[in-house]
Amino acid sequence: MMLRIEDLRKRYSGVEVLKGVDLELRKGETKVIMGPSGAGKSTLLKCINLLVRPDGGRIFIDGEEITSKNDVYRVRQKIGFVFQEFNLFNHLTVMGNVTIGLTKVKGMSKNDAILKAKEVLRAVRIGEELWDRYPAQLSGGQKQRVAIARALAMDPVLMLYDEPTSALDPQLSMEVLSVMRELSKRGMTSLVVTHELSFAIEAASSIAVMYDGRIVEEGRPEEIIRSPKTAEARAIFKGRLNYVLV
Amino acid sequence: MPSVIEYIPFLMEGSLWTLSLVALGLSLGFSLGLPIAIMKFYGARLDAYVWFMRGTPLIVLLSLLYWGVFPALGVKIGPFETSVIALGLRSSAYQSQIFLSALNSVDSGQIIAARSIGMRERQVVAHVLLPQALRISLPSWSNEYAIMLKDSSICFALGVMEILTRARYISVATGSALLPYLLAGILFFSLTHAGTSAIELIYRRVRIKGTLGAG
Repeated sequence: MMLRIEDLRKRYSGVEVLKGVDLELRKGETKVIMGPSGAGKSTLLKCINLLVRPDGGRIFIDGEEITSKNDVYRVRQKIGFVFQEFNLFNHLTVMGNVTIGLTKVKGMSKNDAILKAKEVLRAVRIGEELWDRYPAQLSGGQKQRVAIARALAMDPVLMLYDEPTSALDPQLSMEVLSVMRELSKRGMTSLVVTHELSFAIEAASSIAVMYDGRIVEEGRPEEIIRSPKTAEARAIFKGRLNYVLV
Repeated sequence: MPSVIEYIPFLMEGSLWTLSLVALGLSLGFSLGLPIAIMKFYGARLDAYVWFMRGTPLIVLLSLLYWGVFPALGVKIGPFETSVIALGLRSSAYQSQIFLSALNSVDSGQIIAARSIGMRERQVVAHVLLPQALRISLPSWSNEYAIMLKDSSICFALGVMEILTRARYISVATGSALLPYLLAGILFFSLTHAGTSAIELIYRRVRIKGTLGAG
């Protein structure tokens, strides 16, 4: 197992956001999490790379428990995080955004960092003509692909995507989703919070439905969309069956 | 009586003192104000310091230090040094506010993103927050330069040989008030204008590409 979560709990000022989440992700597997807003999806992802400290439960990355560790910096280096709002560093070029983690966090030399950055930028199809641009000079789809490259550059064992296309129009979403799909196909272990059913069907081995701080149902994409067992899952997939049939 | 014209080099020399006061005062204000801003950004309560420094007239602070605090502590600190300390302390309060609002204007998502790639908080400050906040704060900071330049004239109260002190001296020596003070005014205006224009030029060079108004 690349990721194992046991009975994860988190409360914010008295409100229980995660009420005992269990989740497993095999190496090379891509799993999609769906659910209404407020279900705790984003908090779950943020707990996994310890951006948010869970109150209870345990998280294992590659067999190693991280929840009891104090070295959050080392844990975060191993886990790529992609945000809905891209969150690129505005004062740095595309190249600077991708290399900063390598030089400052990993202590890589500038030349090695640039070589690595070129490799991951090509992987997300950001061409050389964009490498010297600043975030404000990029389209939303380009920004998100640069953000993916920034995460990939750190050589993560796991990628977490938090609604990566929710701030993009359908056209731009496509270019981001296709890059994510490629990464998944190439064996990048990924946990993706998204509403994109087509991505789930093409790239994910399963969909977990989250509701009110719990995972209420989980299954292979076609199965869970076609015959959801819980009311919460039915509410999400109702009327969207045509995705499976086409 | 000697003419005012003969005293022009003497007056001009005062601008060196004025500029020294400002350069040292701003530096002291920066080296205290920036850490204060960062500490406040991370939740430290330093409001009392800022309130005191912002709420006290400079001349009161000068007098308090020169005739009150330093003698009480038994240390001998000259008028120039006292002026630099007073200007610097007061400026640190204003500069801390300038830098704090610049830090607050950096989108918090970038801080979280920096943490997500494994940066320590120290690195987040050095590589993400400060490079942006310092750029953002330049226009307000140029204001602080203009304010301190003009306020440095208050140091004439301690006899620092800056522009106003010299203008007063010339006025007494020549019996003419109009020309010495007019020249002092022109000198202050020119230094303010030159300095703020220089900072504006720097700002244009360093501001982040693709953002509002930048090429």
